[in-house]
Formats: sequence, C-alpha cells, structure tokens
Amino acid sequence: MTISIRARLLLGVIGGMAILLAASALVVYAVMYRSLLDGYDEVLASTARTICGSIEQDGEQIKLEIDEHEMPEFFRTGRPDYFQLWQEDGKTVERSPSLQGTDLVQFEGPLDVHVFRPIRLPDGRMGRAVGLLFFPKIDDEVQVRIQPRRARLVVARETASLDSIIRFLRFVLVATTGGTVVLALLVGAIVVRQGLRPLDALAAGIAAIRHDELSRRVPTNDLPAEMVPVVQRLNDLLVRLEEAFHRERAFTSDAAHELRTPLAGLRSTLEVALARPRGVEDYKECMTDCLSIIGHMQAMADTLLALARLEGGQKTLRPEAIRLAGLFEDIWRPFADRVRERGIADVWHVPPELVCTSDRDILIMIVTNLLANAAVYTNDGGRIEVTAGQAGASIELKFANTGSRLSDEDARHVFDRFWRGDASRTDTGIHGGLGLALVRRAVALLGGKVDASVGGDVFTVRVTLPAC
Amino acid sequence: MRVLLVEDYLPIQKAVARGLREAGFAVDVTGDGEEGLWYATSNAYDVVILDLMLPKVDGLTILRRLRAEGRSAHVLILTAKDTVPDRVQGLDLGADDYVVKPFAFEELLSRVRALARRSYQAKNPCLTVNDLRIETTTQRVWRGRQEVHLTPREYALLEYLAMRSGEVVRRRDIWEHIYEFKSEADSNVVDVYVGYLRKKIERQGKPRLIHTIRGRGYSLAWAK
Repeated sequence: MTISIRARLLLGVIGGMAILLAASALVVYAVMYRSLLDGYDEVLASTARTICGSIEQDGEQIKLEIDEHEMPEFFRTGRPDYFQLWQEDGKTVERSPSLQGTDLVQFEGPLDVHVFRPIRLPDGRMGRAVGLLFFPKIDDEVQVRIQPRRARLVVARETASLDSIIRFLRFVLVATTGGTVVLALLVGAIVVRQGLRPLDALAAGIAAIRHDELSRRVPTNDLPAEMVPVVQRLNDLLVRLEEAFHRERAFTSDAAHELRTPLAGLRSTLEVALARPRGVEDYKECMTDCLSIIGHMQAMADTLLALARLEGGQKTLRPEAIRLAGLFEDIWRPFADRVRERGIADVWHVPPELVCTSDRDILIMIVTNLLANAAVYTNDGGRIEVTAGQAGASIELKFANTGSRLSDEDARHVFDRFWRGDASRTDTGIHGGLGLALVRRAVALLGGKVDASVGGDVFTVRVTLPAC
Repeated sequence: MRVLLVEDYLPIQKAVARGLREAGFAVDVTGDGEEGLWYATSNAYDVVILDLMLPKVDGLTILRRLRAEGRSAHVLILTAKDTVPDRVQGLDLGADDYVVKPFAFEELLSRVRALARRSYQAKNPCLTVNDLRIETTTQRVWRGRQEVHLTPREYALLEYLAMRSGEVVRRRDIWEHIYEFKSEADSNVVDVYVGYLRKKIERQGKPRLIHTIRGRGYSLAWAK
C-alpha cells in the first residue's frame, strides 16, 4: 500500500519541524548550561580568591586566618561549604571546620589557574570544587629573604541549586519542544485536511461523471493552481473519449439505418408477394428480387466492417513504396471489359515511374471504390479519366467520369455515410452510400484529403495523399 | 384513389407499388426527387408517399414546396430516419403521417387508405349508398345482400364515385384519380368502365345508382 499524501505531508513537515525544534532546544540547553556553570564557577573562584587573600607565608610557615563572621558558610553544620589548604608537599595547613577532620580531593592545574571539577562532597551531596596552585603572599616586613613556597587550595560547594535550575531548564525545553510538536501535529492535520479538500471535491466531481455524460467537464476555475494541469489533462482525455464514443454511436446508428432500407425492401417484397396467391413466375421474380437485396446487404456488411476496422484503429499502417500505374492496372482489370462493352472510354494519365509510399491495402480500398463508382455511374459512350501526379510532397489522384446527374450541391454530400446519389443507375436502385464514406475515412487514415466536384456532367473526385 | 410513390430504393418501390395497385390504387412511381416534385405539383394525388433521402431534391424540400403551393394532397413520409426530431420536423412541415422503415406493408396500406378517406371527409371505412355497401379495407362490394365481384379498376372507379357520392364528378377527375400517369388510357375509357360497373351493380332490375349528368360527368346517388 502506498502512503497517502496526507500522511506524507504530515510526517514530512512535522518530522522535519520536530528535528529542528529538538536541535535548537539542544543548542539553547548547551548555552544556558554553560553560562549557568560559568556563573557558578565565578562565585566559587571569587570565594577561593577571598580565602587566598587571607593566606600568608610567614617565614617557612603558611598561615590562614579566617573568621566565622566573615565566612560563616564554612562553619555551619547544615549544608556547609568546604575548603582545604595544603602545602606543596601535601601536608594539610588548614581545613574548614565543616570538614570535621576529613579530606577533600587534592587537584590543581597550572600555577595561578583555577581548575573546576564536579565532586562528591564528604556528606554525600553532589558538589563542585575549584583547585588552585599559588604562591601565598609574604609578610615582607619581617623577613627579608625568604624562599617563597607554593600552596594548594581546594574550595567545594554543593550544586543542588544549580542542578535544580538545570533540571528545570531541561524540563522546560523538553516540554515546549514536545508540546509544540504535538500541537503542530494537530494543527498540521487540520491544515492538510483543509488543503486537500479540493482533491476530495475533484474525486467527487470525477465520480459524478457517468459513462453517458462524457460531455461534462471538470471545472478548473475553483481549483488550486497545482491541480489545474492535472484536471486539464483529464478534461482533454474526456474530450478524446467523447469523440470516440460519438464516433462509435454514430457508426452503430448509421449501420442500423443503412440496414433499414434493404430490410424494408425485403419485408415489403415478401409481404406483397404473400398477400395473395400468385403464379410460379411471380414467386420466382420475388425470390430473385430478395436475393439481389441480400447481395446488396452482404456488400454493405463487408463495407461496414471495413469502415469499423479503419475507425477503430484496428488497422495498423504498413507503408511501402507502391508503383501507382501497376496498382491502377490491377484494380481496373475486372471493370475494363464491362466498361468497354458500354462504349465507355477510359483514359489514363499515370506516369509509369510514379511511386507513392503508403499502405497498400488501404490504397487499394480507396482506388477500388472510386473506380467502381466511376464504372457504375458513367453514361454509355461516356468517358472515365484518371490522372495521377506528384505536387511537392504530395501525390494527387483525380478520378473523373461523365454522365453525372449530380448538382454541385450534391457533390458536397457524396462522402456522407447516408447519402445516396443517382438511384436509377444501379441494379438494386441503391448505391451503398458507404463506398465514398469509406474512401473519406481511408484517405484520412493515410493523412490525406479528398473532395468531389461536379462540372457539367463530369463528376470528379480529387484525392491528395502524402507522397511518403 | 391515386397515389404518388417517391422512393429511390428500387425493391421498396417495386413492392409497395405492386401492393398498392393490387389494393386498388392507381400508383405513380419515381425514384428521383426532382421528378417526384414535378409529379406531385402537376397531378391531383390523394396520397403522396415520400422518402426523405432522395437524389437531387430531398423529401422535405418536396413537402415544403407542395405546402407552399397550397397542395392539399395527404403526405405520408416513409423513411429510415426514426429520431423524434426527424418525425417532428416532417410532421411540422405538413406531413400527415410518418412511417419508419422497415415497416409492415399491411400497416402502410391501411395508413394510406386512412389518408385517402380523409381526402373526402370520410371516416368510415365502410361506404354505403342506400343498399350499396363498399368495404374499403377488403375491397368487397355488396348490393343488398348480393356480393358484387369487381375488377380492381372497376372497384377503384366505384370507390372514387362513392367517396364523392351525391356530387357530380367530372370525367377528368375520375381519370385523374383512377389512372396512373403512365397508363395510355384517355378519358373515354372512363365511359367504358362506367358501363361495366353499371352492368354489375345495377342488374336484375335494381334501381339505377350511377347517373350520367350530360356534359358534366357522373354522379353516384340514390334517386328516388
């Protein structure tokens, strides 16, 4: 299962925010901790300096005099501070009364540098101590030449108050960070839900489009900018679907319509024949009529199927170089005898070397239909003229025949699927009406154009195809 | 009754014309819109059966022109176009009936008969003039209790006279309504057929029904 946009947005934004908040809280904590500690250490150091001020070297002796009134913290029994002073050789000079005889840890840094470290106080409390190595001042009024001796001082104090401040700081930081993240999660969830509401609306809008309402479009005017391209693509898809549906529907209804006429012919022929008793010859005639209608229906079914294949895109184009003169000759052969019997002249202006790169099957379909049309409609003793030539990047084919009784107005309709031309010319009284519709579709499939015109009694179909 | 059939699909043209003729109609046939328009405007048809998709001039144009010229012939549209807008358009342009292909010939026939009756304000398919009774649906004729057997042409003549019973019907009218355009008959033939008809329906001393109105025509009426 893929993770939802809502979860992804929430996790991304809130997760990122939580990390940032935690990092900044850590920085704040570190800075605050450092500065609190520095403050604390400064107090410790100043206490150590005060004590140092009271230490003197008197001859070989190091002395310390402190007064309980000045520094009561070293004298009290509850939560006292501590100090201890050593000679350089480690012998204790003096210790605060609060130590009650026990020792502090000895430590030191370089000369005259305060060194701090956390320690455990003799009464078990946590504390912090400063260690200092120094030269005590010398009572030079008395001694003229004295060897200065170093002393070591450690002052310690409990850190309970500092620890509680730091604990509080830590609590405040964790609480604000955690609280902010939780709140952000809530607010974020609401914002994301609001933000994604157009998506829900879009989904509902799309779901409302039923298969028979393809003319509906998803409105883009109230949509957030990010979604507009998506919806536009969707609408484009709907347009294409609608066109395909219309084509399909038109095709089915046209097919049904086209079948209606011959069906009506069959039905009325049979009904009239059966309406009363008749002679054998009458029945024979009726059956012959019916057979010819069925022949026509069969031809129509074949053409409809070919059209359906063309329109349904089931036919994939396989372009190849075709020599037009040869193609025309092959297609014309079956018509030639019948046409000449009727005294019709066929005139060809097709350069023998003219080559068109196209789909052979479809080109045959086009030319066969046009030549068959010409063969049927040309008047006895008339003329059929076929011209082919290259004009730039296209091939132009022209099929002209005399004997047309169409008007120029009619010429515009000859490619309509329904349209029937001059009925009285054909055996069944009907020319499929599909032949030229098929030609138009086939030409379109090859990327060409077709039009028809009438001048006097000459009917001309002009086909323009890309040469390659 | 004279009918014009404008239909470009030959099998339908042939079958319908044959069926209508056998039902006693005089039928003119064409498969071309232009010719159809010419026929319809130059003859007095009782019913015009009109296909819509026709070469040269389409059916609706023919209908529009007929109505524009004030022709009152009843028009029945016979077409494969079956949508409601098509029907509405056809009827609104002045068609009297609309039949969609494929159709039952029997139904077409009875609709044509109904339209033909309407031409003469006759709603009853059974025409009676005193003891003469004509059943137009079956084309059977009785004089009193006796059934009279008539040829289609005789029947057509009698039916036409009966539709206009009481009126004086001109020979020319009879000729125009009983004979097809392509028939070679002239109006003298009418007299011959009136003669045949009289022999069949006025025999055995039955009173005369078909009266000759000198110089004007004939009248089918009961003369007391």
